[in-house]
Amino acid sequence: MGLSTAMEIGKNGLNIYRVATEVTSENIANVNTPGYSRQRVILETSPPTTANGFPIGTGVRIAAVERYYDSLLQQQLVNAQTTQGYDTTKSTVLQQIEPTFNEVGSDGLGAAISNYFGAWQDLTLNPAGSAERQAVLSRAQILTDNFHSVSKALTDTISIQNDTLVPLTEDINATLNNIAQLNGQIKTTELVNGNANELRDQRDQLVRDLSQQIGITYKENSDGTTDISYADGGAALVTDTAVGSFSLTNNVGTGLYNVFVTQAGGGTALVTPKTGQLGAILELRDTIIPGYLSKVDDLANSMVSEVNAIHSTGFQQDAITAGTNFFSGTTAKDIALNISTTNQVAASGVAGLVGDSSNTLKLAQLQNKLTMSAGTTTFNSYYDSLVSQVGLDVQSSKNTEAQDIAFTKQLTTLRESNSGVSLDEELTNLIKYQRSYQASSKLITTATEMMDIVIGIIR
Amino acid sequence: MRVTANMSAETSLYNIQQGRAKLDRLQELTSSGVIVNTPSDDPINTRLLLDISDKLRAGDQYTSNIQKSITWQQFTNAALTGMSDIMALAKKQVGTINSGSSDATVRQNAVLQLQALKQQLLDMGNMQLGDQYIFGGAINSTQPFSATAPYYAGDETALNVEISSNTTLQMNVPGNQVLTADTATSQPYGTTNILQAFDDLITAVNANDVAGIQAGSLALAAGAKQIQNAQSDVVSRLTRLDNAGKMNGNIRNTLETVYSNTQNVDYAKLAVQLNQQKLAYESSLSATAKLSQMSLLDYL
Repeated sequence: MGLSTAMEIGKNGLNIYRVATEVTSENIANVNTPGYSRQRVILETSPPTTANGFPIGTGVRIAAVERYYDSLLQQQLVNAQTTQGYDTTKSTVLQQIEPTFNEVGSDGLGAAISNYFGAWQDLTLNPAGSAERQAVLSRAQILTDNFHSVSKALTDTISIQNDTLVPLTEDINATLNNIAQLNGQIKTTELVNGNANELRDQRDQLVRDLSQQIGITYKENSDGTTDISYADGGAALVTDTAVGSFSLTNNVGTGLYNVFVTQAGGGTALVTPKTGQLGAILELRDTIIPGYLSKVDDLANSMVSEVNAIHSTGFQQDAITAGTNFFSGTTAKDIALNISTTNQVAASGVAGLVGDSSNTLKLAQLQNKLTMSAGTTTFNSYYDSLVSQVGLDVQSSKNTEAQDIAFTKQLTTLRESNSGVSLDEELTNLIKYQRSYQASSKLITTATEMMDIVIGIIR
Repeated sequence: MRVTANMSAETSLYNIQQGRAKLDRLQELTSSGVIVNTPSDDPINTRLLLDISDKLRAGDQYTSNIQKSITWQQFTNAALTGMSDIMALAKKQVGTINSGSSDATVRQNAVLQLQALKQQLLDMGNMQLGDQYIFGGAINSTQPFSATAPYYAGDETALNVEISSNTTLQMNVPGNQVLTADTATSQPYGTTNILQAFDDLITAVNANDVAGIQAGSLALAAGAKQIQNAQSDVVSRLTRLDNAGKMNGNIRNTLETVYSNTQNVDYAKLAVQLNQQKLAYESSLSATAKLSQMSLLDYL
């Protein structure tokens, strides 16, 4: 043990506090980087030596540069993101559909149905009147237009959801590739030296991003890699550096995409995603919106068959020609007027009687007849229920989304509390390390002065 | 718990967003004046509101039906009143030659009078509302009455109109039930063929057939009664329409009250809430601005 040892300790101190300052500056620089976990230098005493029979320390050394990381929080965040991804997508799309059914704010299909039957009521007062007959045709045209517009809005939404699958699966595939790549880099880096903190942060962030899009389960391996499996079906998406992928093929029957997963290591299978954004898009495309559409179609179909059944038993304006079908088509998309002139409106119910209104009255009274849902509701009431159902769906999805956001926010806060950078803290550390650096250099100057004294004795 | 500046910022943003959303909702309520703007605002009340709207639209239609029916009844009533007056004149005319007359001029005069009155009766029977002959039944695009037997070319179809949900009212009086009732299938007012009675009377007067004239006089009296019966039927229909109209109006009022109670905002309450929320929002903005400026850097 000599003066040179003191200088050595001072030199070590300089080096180590420079590293500590670097870590601090890394933290400060990344204060706003998403997914960054703050790092700290773990200091420990160097192994002591025995001088003059006493064990004396040889200074400080860095045990590790660690990141603050809570794997349980990461797990909870991944699960929360999947739920949030699902609910947000559902809520957004449903809110886009809602205006189509906003009967409260403006007149839509419901009003068109009332007005259509109102026109028949007017015709009962003057069955031969051409103005009244024209009104029936016009109101019927407005009704079919309304059916078409609702049907189009819904089918458009279905095809938009279908188209969304393309960029979404591409995005998922890119994320999977990045994760596999990072797996490789982390493994290599950590084989050589220490913790690949930044790379791990990046991978954790990617895993969280991915979990918004699809439900996943993941496993951290001892070699630093993370394996990822698909929650819907369990297919391996990332194993070490091998990567799987999502692909779409057009289903000829439906004209919509089927989703396939190719596992990491091979093997392609059809999957039915139920979680995350992907699950929400497929549920909207295959269940929710087609559900609304089929109700509107049912309404159109019943309207067509009920009106036609009565209209075709009547007689046209000449009271000789038998009435034809009033509407054609079977769905909201293809419902159309089957007659084109006012003469063809079968107002009279008795052959030869031009001014008879019995058939018109029957048609007008259809409005209050229990025609829908196996004879339990009227046309209007059935449609009102549908509007109310859409409203309920939108409301509950909005509420769920708000809860998800609050929950995720809580988890993010917890993560931030553990892993987030506090500038105040880092600045304090900076001062601390600066002072230590100064002290270490003071050690060297002091040792130098002592060395001078020793050399002076020799002179 | 360890708190970082970013956490505070995130929390502030979240809360500002929440406050803004509440303000936005209050603003929507204030500017629109209605509580349910979209079905998702209140799905259960949406169902109620839509149901009320449907009923109000149906009510409008019934009001229109009732109005038009009232016009029709008033026209019918006017025609029947006219017929009643004619019958009175005819009876008076017949009274003057009840026991016949040897003077051909007097008889000729009476015949001319009766012919003119019959023609007036026919004109009344051929009265039109718009392009519909009101006494023609369902054959109401051509004149129902002509001067020669069988006189009536219309039919007896009842033209019904809906005046409230599933309640219909017969709008027309088929002409044969009034003027040629002996040929009518249904005879609610009487059984006299008034037009035939006129023709028989004219023949009897021409022939100075006293028994025939007296029989005709009786027939006219029965006919006048028949027209009065029809008239009271029309008046009772008018009463029924009037009641239906009032009932419809009452229902509308009730529905509108329920609608506005459910749908209209309470501005006083809203103003207070808006003020509270505005204050809360401003406070959160101000607190955020002040707190996020604090940093150790300022003191180094």
